[in-house]
Amino acid sequence: MRPATRTRGSSNAVTNGVGVQAEDTRICVVMVGLPARGKSLIAQKVVRYLGWLSITAKCFNVGNYRRTATPQPNAAFFDTSNKEGERLRKAAAEAAVDDMCKWFRSPDNLIAILDATNSTKPRRRWIKERCDAEGIETIFVESKCDREDIILSNILEVKTTSPDYEGLDPEHAAKDFLERIKMYERVYETLDEDEADMTYCKIINVGSQVIINRIQDYLQSRVVYYLMNLHIKPRSIWISRHGESMYNLSGQIGGDANLSARGRKYAEELPTLVKRSAGDSPLTVWTSTLKRTAQTAQHLPYEKLAWKALDELDSGVCDGLTYAEIEEKYPRDFKARDEDKYNYRYLGGESYRDVVIRLEPIIMELERSENILIVTHQAVLRCIYAYFMGSTQEKSPWMEVPLHCLIRLTPRAYKTEEERLFADVPAVSTWREKGSKAAHQVQTLSISECAEMCTDIACAQDTPENSRRPSPSIAAQTKP
Amino acid sequence: MDTLLTADLAAKSFMLRRRSSTNVDAIHDLPEKESLAPAQLYSTESGRLFHSGRIVISTVGLPARGKTHISVALARYLRWLGVKTHIFHLGDYRRAHVGQTGEMPDDYFHVNASSSSVLLRNKILKKCREEILHFLNHENGQIAIYDAVNPLAAGRRALAREFEKHNVQTLFIESACTDERIIEENVRSVKISSPDYKNWTPEEAVRDYLQRINSRIPHFETMEETDLHYVKMINAGERVIVNNCAFGYLSQRIVFYLLNLHIKSRQTYFCRAGTTKDEENYKADASLSAEGEAYAHKMTDTLIAHRESERRNLIAHGAPESTALKPLNVWTSTRRRTVETGAEFEARGYRVRQRSQMSQLNPGVCEKMSERKIREKFPDEVAKHEQDPYHHRYPRAESYHDLAVRLEPIILELEREQNDLLIIAHESVLRVLYGYLMACSATDIPKLQFPRNEIIEIIPASYNNSAKRIHIPGLPQKLVPGSPEDIQIPVAPSGTASPFSGIGTPAEEGSGSLPLRPRIAVTSHSPT
Repeated sequence: MRPATRTRGSSNAVTNGVGVQAEDTRICVVMVGLPARGKSLIAQKVVRYLGWLSITAKCFNVGNYRRTATPQPNAAFFDTSNKEGERLRKAAAEAAVDDMCKWFRSPDNLIAILDATNSTKPRRRWIKERCDAEGIETIFVESKCDREDIILSNILEVKTTSPDYEGLDPEHAAKDFLERIKMYERVYETLDEDEADMTYCKIINVGSQVIINRIQDYLQSRVVYYLMNLHIKPRSIWISRHGESMYNLSGQIGGDANLSARGRKYAEELPTLVKRSAGDSPLTVWTSTLKRTAQTAQHLPYEKLAWKALDELDSGVCDGLTYAEIEEKYPRDFKARDEDKYNYRYLGGESYRDVVIRLEPIIMELERSENILIVTHQAVLRCIYAYFMGSTQEKSPWMEVPLHCLIRLTPRAYKTEEERLFADVPAVSTWREKGSKAAHQVQTLSISECAEMCTDIACAQDTPENSRRPSPSIAAQTKP
Repeated sequence: MDTLLTADLAAKSFMLRRRSSTNVDAIHDLPEKESLAPAQLYSTESGRLFHSGRIVISTVGLPARGKTHISVALARYLRWLGVKTHIFHLGDYRRAHVGQTGEMPDDYFHVNASSSSVLLRNKILKKCREEILHFLNHENGQIAIYDAVNPLAAGRRALAREFEKHNVQTLFIESACTDERIIEENVRSVKISSPDYKNWTPEEAVRDYLQRINSRIPHFETMEETDLHYVKMINAGERVIVNNCAFGYLSQRIVFYLLNLHIKSRQTYFCRAGTTKDEENYKADASLSAEGEAYAHKMTDTLIAHRESERRNLIAHGAPESTALKPLNVWTSTRRRTVETGAEFEARGYRVRQRSQMSQLNPGVCEKMSERKIREKFPDEVAKHEQDPYHHRYPRAESYHDLAVRLEPIILELEREQNDLLIIAHESVLRVLYGYLMACSATDIPKLQFPRNEIIEIIPASYNNSAKRIHIPGLPQKLVPGSPEDIQIPVAPSGTASPFSGIGTPAEEGSGSLPLRPRIAVTSHSPT
């Protein structure tokens, strides 16, 4: 660890005087492994996890650099005796590492992931020396797998949709890809004693054995722990806000109010809604410790667990006020919050950033678990949603999550699929657009209006990639 | 536990399951009654966490490889998480069997031992195993840590099979060293302080000790059994091999904890933040008052002077003149008063970090209310609080339990930190962190006291930690007791529990109504 610390400038300006600090440690996570060992999947997940924790991370995929020169190479290109192929691949690696070093010069950029096979010892030594010279720590993450079934399913699910094989016959693509792997296998060297001086984590057969060498700091241990918690069993996560509460009706924020009559109706319908989506698969329900979530979950016939960490964002002095009252009593705060909602910490309360920090153990548990249904609150739900969907900090605090709507998230190799199910129980809208006046919407929306609004908002507010959704109720978000 | 030189320790333990007789660190005590642990998430009828089964954690490794350190640290963390954990030192059973003065047969650890030795070995092993199973089957135990050498693969397989029959998983943790220096260091610091080595030079003592290990335990097989669940830590965590361990919530947590554990010793200091301009208001997040700033200066001077005197002390005891202490880092919360209290350290070039998880306990709606008003408005809550000050939440407030759960990442970073560390935080946060390091029970944590005129120093040791208090001289009396952010409540008459025994500290010291003094030993303590 280096001695200097640095306060993140962006948060300093807008919170009540104090921000979150990150270690001045820059780490390059170097992926190692044959093709179809889940390297890119791991890289994507790590970037998303760190980004969510406000640790700026970026993935540098050497394949993308190589593709600019050779968009659709065949397996022969990857033959090590193919001098031209070898030269082009080395050039691509150099270009990626150069770009990465440039990227690290910006003080906010902390973790880069170099996604490539990095299959030989000289190549890895070269990367380490480049990084050492720039003062960047390296951690090599090797995914080693010799179980044919895992490799094949990986090839079929992921690789044949790779840009290298776009428009080609899948069967032909798979065959060519197996050839390509053979080329790499000839020169592949696993991490071993010769590299005992390096920091590395070697994951063998999806975690049946993990070797962790020379972890240097807490952040690295955090990344390794995260990697060890990942599993590849199919599962879904359902999230819902609590049913409409008395405070929702009066437009007050925070508090620990009971459900309204309509909120209770939603609680009664929730088991059917869940059953429609989950069928008979087993699941566990997580709620917050506030009355409204426990009341919403009361009819669900599953094991329940109440987490304090799932409680609503604490609005401090503003707890129990309406937005109009906040605007009147604390006009400067109201404006400051609009300007940077993610970092704004309510007087005596929390910011979205604070909520994310306290949610981290929940995310780790979620990665480890199988089917989970979470009944929680607007701000918390936005944070969990942002983790799975990779939404940005500018947008996630403004995301519309209507009441009486069940969201199903299904993590897949390269994207999380989303589906929204609406209970036919009307509710007030608690959503306030950025910069808008603090008028409480007293009119209630019908189910169709609600769904309609939801699509609009999703398009406008959510990540830009998903603006062409097919339908409001079943919408899949694709992450590149 | 050390196999050879702990007779004195065994003499102190009046039963096989140890209860520490000192009031220092309660890690070796079995909680007397059923109570929730500091960071336990929920309780079940069986007393076990539902998302994990029963596990025996069995150590593997020759003496002086840090097995006891790992066992104790792990037990501390698991208990903190609310997992009912107990350590079973096989050495204790052996000593109980052969008696304090009795000699062990020379071939006790040998592979081809005589039949009488094998018989003795099996008898001792059986007794220990029975107690482990009793703890797991009849005392709601969830994790038993079995501290033994376990040198042979065949023995380890048999052990895992035996527990498997009772539906208990076995996780082996091997501590291996390829670096002789680490072993020698370990022997020097832990093993040869025994009376046996009085008047020996350290070098000779180390050599003799290692020789004794080699002749007593000539056969040792490192773990290679891929069918077993194991974690192998090589050279104090420089390399960690995790084999077949993704079998549950707890196994993953244990591995993460082990990744952050090191065996180097360092000091931790705790101190309070200065007083602020708006004493009574939790939500205002006020700046330090003039008095608060004066406190920050005095505290900084005192700690730096204390560290310098420690250094001189080392030199006086033979360390070279160039001896330097470990660098000191400072952690504060993100609350203004703690940041400003740490500013003096920053100005003097120390590294100061803010940790948002370390904000104080949120007092909720009862902030600024008098005790009478609270009793009037929330009589039910007061009754509940008196029953269980650790877990009870006043309306919209956090309980100590909530605080403990929120502090978990801090605990792990605390374990990883290799430099000396000063934590400046609210009394409620200090109580919880102290509770972790000293294995206090949930009932005691809300009552711990950290007056402002003292810096607490935690001195780590592998068998148990100890604490001492460093006096800060020259502070005005009114600054000393109580937390400035505490709710101001009149001192309850003697014998009456205050509704805020958890949140507040009575306004005056020595008024006869003080809660129990926390279990802080004034002297340092070295058990082995």
